[in-house]
Amino acid sequence: MKISLAWLRDHLAGDTPAEELARCLTKVGMNVELREAVGNDESWDVDVTSNRPDALNHRGLAREAVAAGCGTLRPLEASLAESPIAAADLARLEVVDTAGCPRYCARVIRGVRVGPSPVWLAERLAACGVRPINNVVDATNYVLLDVGHPLHAFDLRFLAGSTVRVRKAAAGERMTTLDGVERELVPDDVVIADAEKAVALAGIMGGADSEIRDDTTDVLLESAYFDPLAVRRTARRLGLVTEASHRFERGADRTMARQAVDLAAELIVRLAGGEVARGVLDSAPMLPPARQIELDPEQLCTFAGCEIPPSFVLRVLAALGCDPRPGSDGMRCSVPSWRVDLELPQDLYEEVLRHWGFDRVPSVLPEAATAPGKRLGTWPVTDQARDALVHTGLAEAVTYSFITSELDAATAGSPLADRGAAVLLDNPLSARMAVMRRSLLGGLAEAAAGNLRRGAERVLLGEVGRVFFGTGQRPREEERLAVAMAGRQGGWDRSAETDFLDLKGTLEAVLEPLGIEALSWRPTDAPVLAVGSGAGVFAGDQLVGIAGRLAESVSSLVDCPQALWVAEIDLGHVGARTVPTVRPLPRFPAVVADLTVRHARAVAYAELVAAVRAAAPDWLEAVQPVVQFKGAGVAADEVKTTLRLVYRLAERSLTQDEVNAAHFALMEELGRRLPVSFQ
Amino acid sequence: MAIEGLQQAREEFEAVLAAAGSDAARIEEVRVRFAGRRSGLLRDLEDHLKTLPRDEKPAYGKALNELKRLVEERLAAAAEAASKAAAGERLDVTLPGRRPPVGSLHPVTLVRREIEEIFLRMGYSVADGPEVEDDWHNFEALNMPPDHPARDAQDTFYIPGGWLLRTHTSPVQIHTMEGQQPPIRVIIPGRVYRRDSDLRHSPMFHQVEGLVVDEGITFGHLKATLEAFVHVLFDPSLEVRFRPSFFPFTEPSAEVDITCVLCLGKGCGMCSGSGWIEILGSGMVDPRVFRACGVDPARYTGFAFGCGLDRVAVLKYRLPDLRMLFGGDERFLRQLGLGVKA
Repeated sequence: MKISLAWLRDHLAGDTPAEELARCLTKVGMNVELREAVGNDESWDVDVTSNRPDALNHRGLAREAVAAGCGTLRPLEASLAESPIAAADLARLEVVDTAGCPRYCARVIRGVRVGPSPVWLAERLAACGVRPINNVVDATNYVLLDVGHPLHAFDLRFLAGSTVRVRKAAAGERMTTLDGVERELVPDDVVIADAEKAVALAGIMGGADSEIRDDTTDVLLESAYFDPLAVRRTARRLGLVTEASHRFERGADRTMARQAVDLAAELIVRLAGGEVARGVLDSAPMLPPARQIELDPEQLCTFAGCEIPPSFVLRVLAALGCDPRPGSDGMRCSVPSWRVDLELPQDLYEEVLRHWGFDRVPSVLPEAATAPGKRLGTWPVTDQARDALVHTGLAEAVTYSFITSELDAATAGSPLADRGAAVLLDNPLSARMAVMRRSLLGGLAEAAAGNLRRGAERVLLGEVGRVFFGTGQRPREEERLAVAMAGRQGGWDRSAETDFLDLKGTLEAVLEPLGIEALSWRPTDAPVLAVGSGAGVFAGDQLVGIAGRLAESVSSLVDCPQALWVAEIDLGHVGARTVPTVRPLPRFPAVVADLTVRHARAVAYAELVAAVRAAAPDWLEAVQPVVQFKGAGVAADEVKTTLRLVYRLAERSLTQDEVNAAHFALMEELGRRLPVSFQ
Repeated sequence: MAIEGLQQAREEFEAVLAAAGSDAARIEEVRVRFAGRRSGLLRDLEDHLKTLPRDEKPAYGKALNELKRLVEERLAAAAEAASKAAAGERLDVTLPGRRPPVGSLHPVTLVRREIEEIFLRMGYSVADGPEVEDDWHNFEALNMPPDHPARDAQDTFYIPGGWLLRTHTSPVQIHTMEGQQPPIRVIIPGRVYRRDSDLRHSPMFHQVEGLVVDEGITFGHLKATLEAFVHVLFDPSLEVRFRPSFFPFTEPSAEVDITCVLCLGKGCGMCSGSGWIEILGSGMVDPRVFRACGVDPARYTGFAFGCGLDRVAVLKYRLPDLRMLFGGDERFLRQLGLGVKA
């Protein structure tokens, strides 16, 4: 909020230097963010928090400055001369909606001459960022900025029946506000009406029909207290935030309504002439009693963690208007009508502490915890997954949780993504961020494509994050891991285009430390992957992920210039962390024998190895791939696979004869199990 | 005895050849001395063979042949090496090596783990909660009833069915207190969402929240804990100041500033010339929040704090634009490397 330094000083007795004033206000939480010289004055930008509507004016800030030790507060006086004619004879007030408008005060001023405001007033308003309009309207704005109470001036001529009626709007009722916009009202809206129609949106903005004009002579001046929630609802519905609504929705001062109408009437007469009719139309002159709070100064010190003398507590609370009265077991405080935020003793602790100064409270570490802290929830799993990603050379990416609906639809063709409906945002920031992701693949593919378009020769990206599914109840969240690879893998002079085995090897290295066991890879037709180049990853019989080349439908959507190999894993299957135990190393040498097998391409490698193992003695330690050959000399539907068989006995060395016998027996048995031939 | 003589000859040969290095003339001397046709040592040994008894000849002969082959091979290799050296032939050791790919954790992960380690050491646990929340946990239990003006500052993404994307990690404070009685010491890192996007705001970002609840927790405890935290995270020489502020769920509330890490307090673009940078929001837990969670405010007090992980990453690693964090550009991601500490 912008204020004028000279104006602030109007409320302060004493000559505290400007520097000191700014420092004190900042210290107590009214942060003076910017100071600018304007003529002989200074314009300050003060950051007032949303719980302190009482400080959104010069007097409120002056009160804070006084409590912070800067001078004393000058009394607020209005000296108003009233004419013999009673206001009650000139206008009628009727508050129908007393919940929406707990208090309405009005005065009538007759015979004003509307014109421009004097220079001093125009300058003060300008210093506060308010545009001068005319002397009557400017007077209401001046009082608003002076003591914080919003007012409104009506041209009495245009109030039908000279009546002010505060009521709920009728369904379908319309009115045109001061800004020239015609607004349709709903029955929740509180309006100021005359005998016929709505003439103002209560606490938000006046109507165009009854505004002050150059030829206005008789004015009805409104100073009311409106219900914060009612003002807020209407202001938000219409998207109309004004100086008045900003204050009313945070909570105005019901007592000040009466005083403000006098201050404004006095100023109008001073600026525009005319005379003030006798009496105030006041719908609720009786005020509710002030809230009482018991404060225990000892508890306050315990809470703060330091000694604060009771004399200081008394001085600050008195300066803030809380009227503290020390009793036998504490201090009884009356909450002033302008402090809507004070209810509990802790609210008063805050008042005392911020004025005492946070910097004066000694820093003391709490006693040490006795139990060690630990990571809870999914953190252990997701962090282990991140480590596994980077240990295989991937760069960890973080992409947005929301994607376009097109990308969601394109990546939905996956057994991991079609586990529930997509969660759509009610109010997305843009179509680019409209749907909560059901798969990490869309966002990661977009990131990978961006790297390739920028000319990256290689992409190695991984991500760990959540996906979301609509369920009718609370949307379900699952932790996922994804990998994207493309371009040339390997050293600069020995590189090769990424293919499935690069992806699979990376994924195996990632999954191994995560304890997802008994992995098997089976072909899949998931539409998110290109036809014939996708795999389902299974742990036992449970599908835990998919891997393969990204389908053209997705890669064209993210504008990916080349083949992209991707995988996604459901981290819900990560096993409990166990301590690995060491296997003893072999004491006797292995005997190695290669075996070249010609077989139909339809026989998968895993099938071949399984048959070899089934045909072998149990001291066949390992089967490793050596080379696979397709092409010249091999039929089009066949392939030649060379396997390395490692034989070893735990208890003694093998003889070559033993191995030869076993190897030939294995070949014979393999020939019975599978249609293969040997070289 | 005879075979041992061959062994001796071999050792001598190896020593002499090694001493010759890649000097061609000296290698030639070695050749003449051992393999010379007329007076070479091998020749002498061959002559010696003829003098041996018949039964010793096969073994000696076999060993001698091995030695001859070794000497020939070694001499040839040495000669070749010498001629290469003479021609100046060497490896180009300036060629770039073939690097295995080295992975890199995301800057937000690096910052998060660093912060977690600081608090784990102080006995805090690291908790977790849902990113999709209900109004109660995100707002109401945190003393922000419906239509509360403080909700304006947290422009919210809504989801049909009355759900929303959490606007801060504070709802996990509520989950924590609903699930256990004090003492509580916990930090809650996580992803949060607000409907806001510009150079300094991303609609998705990360926070870490802290909550301590016990008997006798004071404002002085809050101050000391957060001072210790920022001193470890940034630099022990930084000044820390606590400014009164307002959050609906703490009272009193304090914003925590540190000396600007860029200009060290002189004033720069990063700190808008003030020399200070806002790094944390904090405060004593509001008794209304305790009541909402079934914690007795007459018995317990506590403090809570929160900070933006992305913002810490921006400050620590001097990122020019917050949104870089979520673009997946490998040129950027790989700059910070694996587990780099500042």
